[in-house]
Amino acid sequence: MIALSVAAALAVFILYTSVAGAGTPQLQPSDLAAHPQGDIMLVGTVVGAPAGDAHAAGGLHFTLKDAKGRNTVARVPVSYTGTVPDLFRTGREVVVEGSLRNGTFVAKPGTLSTKCPSKYAPAPAKKST
Amino acid sequence: MPVEVRTGAREEIHVMAALGRAALLLSFGLIVYALVAGSLAAWKRRRRLALSAQNALLAAFGTTAVAALVLWIALERHDFSFVYVADHTSRTLPLGYRLAGLWSGQEGSLLLWLLILTGYAALAVWLNRRTRDLVVWAVPVLAGVATFFVFMLCFISSPFKTAPAPADGAGMVPSLQNPYMLAHPPLLYLGYVGLTIPFAFAMGALLSKRTDERWIVVTRRWTLAAWTFLGVGQLLGSHWAYVEIGWGGYYAWDPVENAALMPWLAATAFLHSVMIQEKRGMLKIWNMVLVALAFCLSIFGTFLTRSGVINSIHSFSQSPLGSWFLGFIVICIVFSVGLIYLRLPLLRTKTKLESLVSREATFLYNNLLLVALCLTILWGVMYPLLTEAVRGETRSVSKPYYNFFLHSFGLPLLLLMGIGPLVAWRRASLRALGKTFLIPAIVSIVTGSTLIALGYGSSIPGLLAYTFGAFVAASIALEFVRGTRARHALSGGSWPRALVELVGRNRRRYGGYIVHAAILMLAIGIAGSSAYQTVRERGLHPGQSMEVAGYTLTYQTLQTRQEANAVATRAVVDVTRGGSHVTTLHPGKNEYPVEQQVSNEVSIYHDPRNLGDLFTIADQIDPKSHTLFLKVLVKPLVNLVWGAGFLFVFGALVAMWPDAVEQRKLAERYAAGAVAA
Repeated sequence: MIALSVAAALAVFILYTSVAGAGTPQLQPSDLAAHPQGDIMLVGTVVGAPAGDAHAAGGLHFTLKDAKGRNTVARVPVSYTGTVPDLFRTGREVVVEGSLRNGTFVAKPGTLSTKCPSKYAPAPAKKST
Repeated sequence: MPVEVRTGAREEIHVMAALGRAALLLSFGLIVYALVAGSLAAWKRRRRLALSAQNALLAAFGTTAVAALVLWIALERHDFSFVYVADHTSRTLPLGYRLAGLWSGQEGSLLLWLLILTGYAALAVWLNRRTRDLVVWAVPVLAGVATFFVFMLCFISSPFKTAPAPADGAGMVPSLQNPYMLAHPPLLYLGYVGLTIPFAFAMGALLSKRTDERWIVVTRRWTLAAWTFLGVGQLLGSHWAYVEIGWGGYYAWDPVENAALMPWLAATAFLHSVMIQEKRGMLKIWNMVLVALAFCLSIFGTFLTRSGVINSIHSFSQSPLGSWFLGFIVICIVFSVGLIYLRLPLLRTKTKLESLVSREATFLYNNLLLVALCLTILWGVMYPLLTEAVRGETRSVSKPYYNFFLHSFGLPLLLLMGIGPLVAWRRASLRALGKTFLIPAIVSIVTGSTLIALGYGSSIPGLLAYTFGAFVAASIALEFVRGTRARHALSGGSWPRALVELVGRNRRRYGGYIVHAAILMLAIGIAGSSAYQTVRERGLHPGQSMEVAGYTLTYQTLQTRQEANAVATRAVVDVTRGGSHVTTLHPGKNEYPVEQQVSNEVSIYHDPRNLGDLFTIADQIDPKSHTLFLKVLVKPLVNLVWGAGFLFVFGALVAMWPDAVEQRKLAERYAAGAVAA
């Protein structure tokens, strides 16, 4: 009975995730060319200086590059309005949800989040003994 | 002379690092000895060797404590020749945070894990030294787990690496510079690591082929303590996120948050299902599976935080540790599943469920819902990895996925919390059930109808949570009223005395009810603050106002002041309601020059009228034009979430408190076990 019930519960959520299509693709800038449509969770590192105002009509504009992998060339401009996390700045890895429109990634308002460095990872390499 | 002094100091510092490394190597030797000698002693039934293995485990706690002390001293003394100290602290960092540096980095937190594990192991061995047959096999299991962590510390991720000392350290991430940093991580670790003890005794019971309920009796308080630490640790983490991160929420279904929730859910299921084994001798296999699941999930949690395989807003340092942890998890799963499979004939019981309407049946439903919720969260956490492996594309699930299952499984769980404790063991008649649940059912129907009439029907999950909550509250209150009345009739005296006696004589049962009341408070707080919250944001110039849910917030001016290690900018915001002054709030930002970071500093007014918060965030400040972009959240009942934590701890303490009657029964049980052996 336990096994059957657990199996039934598992079936419900597998059904949900498979049929209802709850998953949002999690992509890097270099993957965007293959996914020009639909909602996307874009993960990348901020390059260059961000411009504009996230609370003004024009919004905040910044550029993302791949955070992981070998592609160092791909770049995508992002347009965003809403709350900007304190840790947001050039060089920081961020996650933002939205869709690609005419070559610009238009983010949903308030979806920008930076990785919270709960554990400090030292930037400079040090020679240890 | 200064050169000599510096040289002398450096030599002393290196001696300290060498002492730390030596202490860890000694721990490694002692723990490996406890593993090998303990296994041999248990297998060959050699008592003196078994005692020697136990003593080695006790000694390992001492040597690990020395290693931790060395690192703490280095942190306190700004000893930047330790790479770890230079990477995680700075000269301006206050003492408390310097000492908390032990768990703010990877190597230090591994050392804390080992310290707690060896401490727990030493205490568990010492407290249970009379139950030799159980401890004998638990020692090698404990040592096996500890071997992994001490190996990592000695050979993979040492906290005692040294380098020429820089003038100052890199400092601590500003968001970690919060009093919660002193309590939240250690409490979580006490919880995570605590789950090793019931796991070790369960595996010990399987290895020794003693599959009766003694291992459960011996480890009940350990499980309860670990579960309490894990619960309180998560709640403190949520409060920390609430007051520090500045987004107005307290739980984001982030993989790292889920990593702590999953073992807590599995342990909650375990705490309930062991009662069925104790009372009816049923669910032996299920309990073994649950204890192994809770333990493996606790290791999986640390794997998630250290591997970087899952995209999380908690960017823990990525390191080669992930593959080691993955290997260890595989070993733990293979070991526990294999052992349970081998002992299946001993774990099968003849006792069957007599009725689907009985105490044990409701506990079983509770277990299934808890495990289902735990597994759906695990599925959500693993989803990006699974989709990448199967479809070649990383997809992730977010809040709607988790909320769907929280409502689907959590709301029935809430209702069961009111039903389960009132249903009779073995078989309950429908007439008895009707009589028992009449008052709670009336209370819940009246509550639901009133809420709909007052216009709170806009959120179906919120409405259901309150209706079910009223049912649970009424059933808990009835239990206390009936029990106190019976106690009063039996022993006389005052009513408060009868209540205290009632709880004192049935600590486990009434402690459990208090914990249920705490979970109910938590559910009401979560439902109120999420389903019925109001959010407004607006750009303001000095003198301008905004209206939110009956409050008027007027932005007066900006203030700047120098703090110990930060420059603090605060907006002065006057709050009025109905024309009367309520409070003045100071949302703002802190700039940390050493860490070169800015952090949001929220300002909150706790409203006693609705037990909620008026939560203000200075989303953006322009110091030149003095313009402020203010985000305001009104979160009704949110303070019940935090209040629930206190009640939760109180209930858990009542349930854990030593009980003379229980001790006597335990002694009788041990004696019976000894005779049987």
